[in-house]
Amino acid sequence: MAPTDHPTSTWEPMQDGTVFYRKQELYSMQWKVQDLSDFKVVGARYGGPLAIIRDEHKVIALGGAQRFTKPQIQVYSSSGGLISTLSWDQGKIICMGWAYDERLVVLSEEGLYRVYDLQGEYEQFSLGAEALEEGVVEAQVHETGLVALTGSLNFLEVRSWEGGKAQTLASSGLSTPPHCWTIMPPELTVSRHVEVLISTDSTILMLDNLECIDQRVSRGPFTFLAPSPNGKALALLTAQNVLWVVSSDFQGELAESDLSLEGVSGPPKQMVWCGNDSLVLVWDALVLMMGPFGDALRYFYASPVHAIGEIDGTRIVGAEKCDFLQRVPSSTDAVFRPGSTSPAATLFDAMTHFERKSPKADENIRSIRPELVAAVDACIDAAAQEWEPYWQKKLLNAASFGRAFLDLYDPSEFVAVGQTLKVLNAARYYEIGIPITYTQYQHTSPEHLIARLTSRNLHLLALRVSSYLQIKADPVLKHWACAKIAQTKGISVSEKDDDDIVQTIVSKFKGQYGVSYADIARRAWQLGRTRLATRLLDHEPRAEDQVPLLLSMKEDRLALKKAIDSGDTDMVYHVLLTLKKRLNLGDFFRLLEDGGPELAPAASLLQVYARQQNRELLRDFYFQDDRRTESAILKLEEAAEANDVVDRTAAIRAAGKSFSEDKDRGFEARMMDEHSKLLILQQAFEKDADGRVEFIGLSINDTIYKCITTGQSKKAEKVRSDWRVPDKRFWYIKLHALTEARDWEGLDAFAKQKRSPIGYEAFVNHLVSKGFPNQAKNFVPRCDAKQRIDLYIKCGDWRAAGAECKERGDKNRLDQLRRMAPNGLVQRELDQIASTMNAR
Amino acid sequence: MAAAVARPPPTSSAPIPSVRPAPLPSTPSTSSEPQESSDPGVDVGVLKELARTGLVEALNAVPGAKTLVLDPTLAGPLGLITEVSLLKQHGIDKMFWLEPGALSASTQNVVYLCRPQIRWMKIIAEQIKHHTSLSERHTYNLLLVPRRTVLCDRILEEEGVFGDLHISALKLEFIPLEEDVLSLELEGTYKEIFLDDDHTSLYYSAQALMTIQQAFGLFPRILGKGTASARLCSLLQRMRTAGLAEDPTSPALSLPSTVVDSLVIIDRATDMITPLCTQLTYQGLIDELIGIKNSYVEVDASLLSTGPQAASQSATTPSLGANPTAPQQKKKKHLLAASSDPVFSQLRDLNFAIVGSNLNRLAKRLNEDYEGRHKAQTVEQLRDFVGRLGGLQTEHQALRLHTGLSEQIVPMTQTEVFNKSLEIQQNLIAGYDVNAQFLAIEDLINRSAPLHVALRLLCLFSITVGGIKAKALESMKREILQSYGYEHLTLLLHLEKLGLLCKAPGPHVSLPALRKHLRLLVDDVSEQTPTDIAYVYSGYAPLSIRLIQCVTMKPAVVAAEMGEKALAPAGLESKEGKIPGVLPRAHAIVGWKGFEEIVRQVPGDTVDVVQKPEGDGTGKVDLLPKGHSTTTVVFFLGGCTYTEIAALRWMSRQARGRRYLICTTSIVNGSTLIDSLSAGAWKHISA
Repeated sequence: MAPTDHPTSTWEPMQDGTVFYRKQELYSMQWKVQDLSDFKVVGARYGGPLAIIRDEHKVIALGGAQRFTKPQIQVYSSSGGLISTLSWDQGKIICMGWAYDERLVVLSEEGLYRVYDLQGEYEQFSLGAEALEEGVVEAQVHETGLVALTGSLNFLEVRSWEGGKAQTLASSGLSTPPHCWTIMPPELTVSRHVEVLISTDSTILMLDNLECIDQRVSRGPFTFLAPSPNGKALALLTAQNVLWVVSSDFQGELAESDLSLEGVSGPPKQMVWCGNDSLVLVWDALVLMMGPFGDALRYFYASPVHAIGEIDGTRIVGAEKCDFLQRVPSSTDAVFRPGSTSPAATLFDAMTHFERKSPKADENIRSIRPELVAAVDACIDAAAQEWEPYWQKKLLNAASFGRAFLDLYDPSEFVAVGQTLKVLNAARYYEIGIPITYTQYQHTSPEHLIARLTSRNLHLLALRVSSYLQIKADPVLKHWACAKIAQTKGISVSEKDDDDIVQTIVSKFKGQYGVSYADIARRAWQLGRTRLATRLLDHEPRAEDQVPLLLSMKEDRLALKKAIDSGDTDMVYHVLLTLKKRLNLGDFFRLLEDGGPELAPAASLLQVYARQQNRELLRDFYFQDDRRTESAILKLEEAAEANDVVDRTAAIRAAGKSFSEDKDRGFEARMMDEHSKLLILQQAFEKDADGRVEFIGLSINDTIYKCITTGQSKKAEKVRSDWRVPDKRFWYIKLHALTEARDWEGLDAFAKQKRSPIGYEAFVNHLVSKGFPNQAKNFVPRCDAKQRIDLYIKCGDWRAAGAECKERGDKNRLDQLRRMAPNGLVQRELDQIASTMNAR
Repeated sequence: MAAAVARPPPTSSAPIPSVRPAPLPSTPSTSSEPQESSDPGVDVGVLKELARTGLVEALNAVPGAKTLVLDPTLAGPLGLITEVSLLKQHGIDKMFWLEPGALSASTQNVVYLCRPQIRWMKIIAEQIKHHTSLSERHTYNLLLVPRRTVLCDRILEEEGVFGDLHISALKLEFIPLEEDVLSLELEGTYKEIFLDDDHTSLYYSAQALMTIQQAFGLFPRILGKGTASARLCSLLQRMRTAGLAEDPTSPALSLPSTVVDSLVIIDRATDMITPLCTQLTYQGLIDELIGIKNSYVEVDASLLSTGPQAASQSATTPSLGANPTAPQQKKKKHLLAASSDPVFSQLRDLNFAIVGSNLNRLAKRLNEDYEGRHKAQTVEQLRDFVGRLGGLQTEHQALRLHTGLSEQIVPMTQTEVFNKSLEIQQNLIAGYDVNAQFLAIEDLINRSAPLHVALRLLCLFSITVGGIKAKALESMKREILQSYGYEHLTLLLHLEKLGLLCKAPGPHVSLPALRKHLRLLVDDVSEQTPTDIAYVYSGYAPLSIRLIQCVTMKPAVVAAEMGEKALAPAGLESKEGKIPGVLPRAHAIVGWKGFEEIVRQVPGDTVDVVQKPEGDGTGKVDLLPKGHSTTTVVFFLGGCTYTEIAALRWMSRQARGRRYLICTTSIVNGSTLIDSLSAGAWKHISA
């Protein structure tokens, strides 16, 4: 690369040479604009784009290429490359401005505003009824919102670009329009809410959403108000062109200078800050820069220019070129200031000598040995601040050279600056046209720069930058995919084209995490590409992103299927309930029925829901689906909750009817029949007993049991025969019931009635377990002879047990009993029996 | 007597280095082997802390005094993580059960805490509407456990109170019941998943297991048996993919755990035989015969007389852990937990047959320890004794409780019905004279044995035999409906739908093959010193646990074909096994290898998934590094029984290097399972 002019060639001294300012030419403009004063210009910060629109107050020569059409907004890069042309079909434009993410905000006098991206796609919002009726007089846009002044002198605030409702700020009490006003963006105020500064009469009002405070200034009226980029100072320009800088809380006066001494007259066109300590005023082709100590620099241009305040300087755009004016950064100053003897300058010098193979290099290094670290740091920083790659390299080489003499030096800053400069140089290339400085890059973020590249459809560069800086590339890819789909907008596409697009997108996304296919699919759907959207959604792993979109696409079946696949039953409910609301019942059921086993889980969930919340729905569902058994079970649930016998019987009969319609449910139908009969019988029993005995709800067993315990054996017999209760079961019931009633005579009669089908051991065991051993032993003789001894013992009748042994001639057993005898009395009795046995 | 013992009684600070599974005296955690106590395994206490912090934060989010209205099914789980005093500290003024009827709240703030179920939403809506009609003003907060759902939002919208509530979620997932048991405490999951086909609890399970993975790392391998297990496994993988899409760098989703070696999922439908059998361990029997709810058991107040932990009850103020149904007088809720009860920790997993003798031995030892005071001669010895006195008293009290409980249980195990049903169970599993068993079941019904006893046996019959002949089944059902009431028809239909009580030929497990290859029946089990998991049912080895052994303890199953001798410590690792007194090392997880064929015979899908590390990792992870102990997480989908827990604990004592962390949706037994399937009691009416 050929050596370029020495950096100091653009420098101008100020304050008697203690401070330098430099005005570097960044680009010569590519555009065909002749005279910038014919246009209204709005530039975005951080080297952002410019939006220009013809100023309709200006006289235009008719003829030529000019035609009178709808107003057009042209968006150019800082190097004058056309990015897009937006045609404006709404009312008069009051204000334009740039959002932080480089979207252009355009506000009309009816309070309607659009937020355009760089591709010309926009979202449109309104400030509301008041703005529509009263009209918008003036407005100011900041990076995250706007403030508009309505015809009724109220201030409206919009806080974000999502289309939120406009808030009315506190009343200003103005009766006439203010001389001028400006806003302090929320990021600069203490309260983090936007503040409005209004020049009225001779004072300044400070207005926010809560109150309006008079700052009691008496030097007004003012023609310009401008807060400094860091929000700490406020510049005011009086009608007499006296520039006055105060602290933003109006407590301290920082500077004052009379511009008329500089030989200018009339109000300037613009007043913007240049960094945080000087101001730039523009009168058409004259640019006047006022330093903090009242000295000024003058720059003359061939044609009118427009200035854009940056955090570290001012960008000056003219018809021919784009300049950047800034105070020379201290590190650059240290290296390049003529006659500088700072360590950094010495190091740089050493490097030059080294390149020339001059021994002075070593001498230089030696002389600054103690300050070498600072010198290296300064060179690195100066490189970062430098625009020309030639000087960047030279400075980095100097730093690298100095580093070689250091034992311990953290190289990360060096590496980072090198890396960053590569990125910055790429962004600054005139075809890209983003003249972002190192300071601005640090202030925003690498991600922000990548987003800006992306929004210009510079996907490849954005992707390369992402991977170079090791930043997640998913926003770039997402934007790329959306743009890819939008490209084919309006063209008729075949299924194959869709497949190709999906293929391309999926292959690009492979190995990338965090890409939301749902977002891309939504975009495709918005562009009317439903099929493509569905295809894309197949690749979305997050069901909670898939399903809502499918629902809004009216892909009901698929939405339901995806919800089921997700395993999240709540998602299924979400779809079901949405569909239930939207579709008529028939279609809704049909969707589930036709779904087959795939949608069966949804049908199951619908049943769970409907069983608790909407029985009617469930009844219809079962009916439509011919589910007899389920219908019957539902009827039984109603029977369970019925409040009286009539309702319950009816519900049971209905259940029986449902069962009978299913050929495999004959048994159940019969049981329902038996059940309703039982209820009727129980009702009759209760009537007979004058309601003193409760029968309803008892089982057959319990009914018989209750009949017996209340002494109504005949009724028990009737139930037994009507329901054909098997003998064994009946005998157990009766045994239990008679024991409960302590009806020993009855029990005896019952036992003798016929030979017990359950044997008599059951009698003995039951009576013993209920605590009636004396009654129990009466039945022992009827039991199996082998068991009798044990049974007697169970009843506690040891003597009878002994007698039984004797009867059976079982001497061994008797001896065993004698050993087990619980007490002496029993012992003696057994001994006696034993002795009689022996005698025999 | 005590003086004659030369060796000083062991104190809790000096555990005897015994490796036998017999109860260890005085060490609070019998489940951990002394030689491995330095290796803590996974610490689940953090989950409890997490749940507690979540609750406190949720409560603090509502400023000022508040009335807490509590979902009764959550009382148990909450009782396990917090206590009333903590709630009071955080501004809870009064507590009410969430139940139908008006709510009289004295504070401005009302906090509803419940599961996101429709029935609760309806009650809440009623109560708010009632307040509105009285123009009472309250600020309503709704805390949904474990998450907020669209369904609830919609129900509240439909009821017209959506705008009155501030809704948030309280993520309460696994609750540690013991240091090796985690439960979601979700009731009725078996019914929801397998009868209603409602997979909500499956989703919650998956989320909770994801949390476990967040805490301990990715399960290197997921194994499972059953259709629902397969579904859960695919859900877990799906969630992992979705999670990675959100945060590709998450280490918990990309790197296999180094402390957990696998997850084994068993769904309840895979093995219904086990819960249908009567559990014979101490804790299992308490659950069967007295009932344990959320780890709480209801016991005679006299057994707890001086127990400070006994919860005081009153009708309107719910105490955590307690059940809202008014308890019978003189009964109190007692938390059965090994951590607070040294005696219980030794008894809980023993076969009940030897509980009595163990209690005796404990009593003797305790007596000796008390007698120790006579030996104290110097002031130091006396001080030492006094220092141990507190521990002795706790033990004494616990001993009294468990002696009381055992005395209560013994007569219940001596009834004819109990013994007959045990006999039928054993015969059915052995496949012995099934016709006689059918008649025996019929006889039990004739004798009015409790319904769940009859149904458990009938279902066991149907599963093991493969359905019941149509005619016999019909007459049996008729017997049941007549004996216990026609309202149980719905229950019978549900059992049929689940394949538990079916016409022949019905779904069944191929029992003879399983019996042979999985050694489901073990002769001569020793209750005193068990050599096989079958001790928990005195002969029957739970199928579910055998399946787990197919993955984690292959030698124990292999023994089937080689005879018992194969079980000798030799096992797979012969070198180490030969050293007397040293347990064999657990083998690495290699899936179902060797048992594919037999596992296929168990109905339901078989799952085996290796979760590979994300990125370019080769997936080579040393599954069982030397000298390093890993944990196998076992998840029971649909609930597990206390016997299954006992069997797994026994397994972790049989080998070095593997512990089991038992996770379940809830603790169940055959009766609670059957109860959950019934449609509920019919309303009482009269003419």
